[in-house]
Amino acid sequence: MERELTYGGAIKEALREEMAKDKNVFLVGEDVGQGYRGCFAVSTGLYEEFGPTQVIDTPISENTILGCGIGTALLGMKPVVEMMFEDFISVTFDGILNQAAKVRMMSANQYNLNLVIRLPGGSKTGTGPQHSQCLESVFMSIPGIKIVCPATPYDAKGLLKEAINHGDPVLFFEHKKLYSTKGIVPEEEYKIPFGKARIAREGKDLTVIAISYMNNLALEAADELKAKHNIELEIIDPRTLVPFDLETVGRSLKKTNKAVIIEEGVKRDGVGAEISSLIMENYFDYLDFPVKRIASKNSFIPMSPNLEKAVIPNKESIIREIEELLIL
Amino acid sequence: MKIEESMKLEFLKKMLIVRQFEYKIVEFARSGKIYGSVHLCVGEEASAIGSGSVLRKEDYLLPTHRGHGQAIAKGTDINKLLAEIAAKETGLCKGRVGSMHFFDKENNIVGSQGVLGAQFPIAIGLGLAINLKKEDGIAACYFGDGTSNQGLFYEGMNFADLWNLPILYVCTNNLYGMGTHYTKTSKVDIFEKAKLFKIKTDTADGNDVEEVYEKTFNLAEYVRKNRKPALIELYTYRWLGHSALDSRPYRPKEEIEEWLKKDPIKRYEEKLLNEGILENKIQGVKDLVDKLITQAAKFADESPFPEFTNDMEI
Repeated sequence: MERELTYGGAIKEALREEMAKDKNVFLVGEDVGQGYRGCFAVSTGLYEEFGPTQVIDTPISENTILGCGIGTALLGMKPVVEMMFEDFISVTFDGILNQAAKVRMMSANQYNLNLVIRLPGGSKTGTGPQHSQCLESVFMSIPGIKIVCPATPYDAKGLLKEAINHGDPVLFFEHKKLYSTKGIVPEEEYKIPFGKARIAREGKDLTVIAISYMNNLALEAADELKAKHNIELEIIDPRTLVPFDLETVGRSLKKTNKAVIIEEGVKRDGVGAEISSLIMENYFDYLDFPVKRIASKNSFIPMSPNLEKAVIPNKESIIREIEELLIL
Repeated sequence: MKIEESMKLEFLKKMLIVRQFEYKIVEFARSGKIYGSVHLCVGEEASAIGSGSVLRKEDYLLPTHRGHGQAIAKGTDINKLLAEIAAKETGLCKGRVGSMHFFDKENNIVGSQGVLGAQFPIAIGLGLAINLKKEDGIAACYFGDGTSNQGLFYEGMNFADLWNLPILYVCTNNLYGMGTHYTKTSKVDIFEKAKLFKIKTDTADGNDVEEVYEKTFNLAEYVRKNRKPALIELYTYRWLGHSALDSRPYRPKEEIEEWLKKDPIKRYEEKLLNEGILENKIQGVKDLVDKLITQAAKFADESPFPEFTNDMEI
């Protein structure tokens, strides 16, 4: 049956369904159970429903919170670890880089980690430099982990259910601006496989690969560009950055011959740099001009609203950059 | 505690295996058969075997980067361990990771640690899983004196105490973290650090295998029965350098000589003879160990190096 859920509600539903199915699935993190019930209220009610063996509150110790995930996954459980803010994952970088990512390869497949790390990130909330970042690109260069960044409630639920059962560590990037957005989420069981992009809007003039919340901005920009200049953007949501669905991008490029990548992380060595290189290596002959990257400035996320706006892409800046690119 | 003769001979056998295993690696290193870094525990055999013999099949082990003895005590096949260290296909992890990062699922060894202190958060996860799954085993988390200065140690002890986790912490205090003496890194004894978290502790002469066994056994029983953490600190000494071919200029000669006199194996052999165990039984153990080590060396030597496989790229 079709009904609407918020992005946050879809994440909770995925957790509920998987926790009900399998006692080995549990949520662990700071204030996920009895206190705040998730800093963004995503896990409200889960403690009451599943109790302290499946919704586990912890001291403020990100390293050991991740350790709870790695250690229990080594023993065959399916932990979902929540970092209260994506930025805090820095505290536990060793666990990600040297432990979680490498267990399967180092142990020659004796062990694998069914481990999800939920990461609420993104700016436009006024929380400033240490509570606002989009760090996907920092982790893309670490072999052994999957990078997932849903943009819709439907994808959030389907991708999280896949992540919980995936078999390798998954960094699950949730955008805070998306939590209250609504969309259709079926009640029937479904999972979304990794490495399958979604065409968010079909078009013939320009391929736009937009990550997470930037997908929403790209859709808004597309409406305006259509009204103003009668150009049709084809918007692709990769859904997962590792693995990355290059084929869907390639198919679109053969039609449009132009590509723009929009991300909220910093431009230097960002997600766009990698995708742009992949496009150049594989589809150079189809390009009318170089791939364009729209991203945050190589700066930090300032607190002041006007400074924050100056650093990260917004609808107006996206429209402006596309107009400049197409000489409109 | 009454220790049977058969067990005494088993202690001696395992300590001899560890020592000869480690010296075989030195031999391998000198003849260019070891690629990369290896950390040896010669001199620390009583600590590794005495404490490790307490562990059961169902218990989990997190060994340190100086963990060959700990793994051997847990039951790891020395052929596969030596092959791993020699980077061979027949190794525990197909020769991919060597001495510092091996796993041995058959014996519940969930990964030795190249990054010091990384074992502390993982130990909490193991303890949590044991409790959640209502398993019988415990988790043994080994670390050295130097590693006790990682913040993760304190974080872990807080969780272990808070959540009543069945974790046995075993500290092999060999006085040096690489080339730095423990007293230059902390004014507080390691077992004292654990007391802050109300964790039951003990200390032992890490060169006396029976004392190590007995005290670790008692603590492990406490962990098993009460489902609470405990910590034992074992005082011992690393005869060789930090890594296999380190010339160790940072340690005073007198200190080394002092500790050589406390050789845990020579000491134990003398004790067994004094207790009336026949010399030919001890000789029998030595002959057997010689044979086992020769076999392991041959196995490692004759095994092929691994090829890159697709599962190594994800």
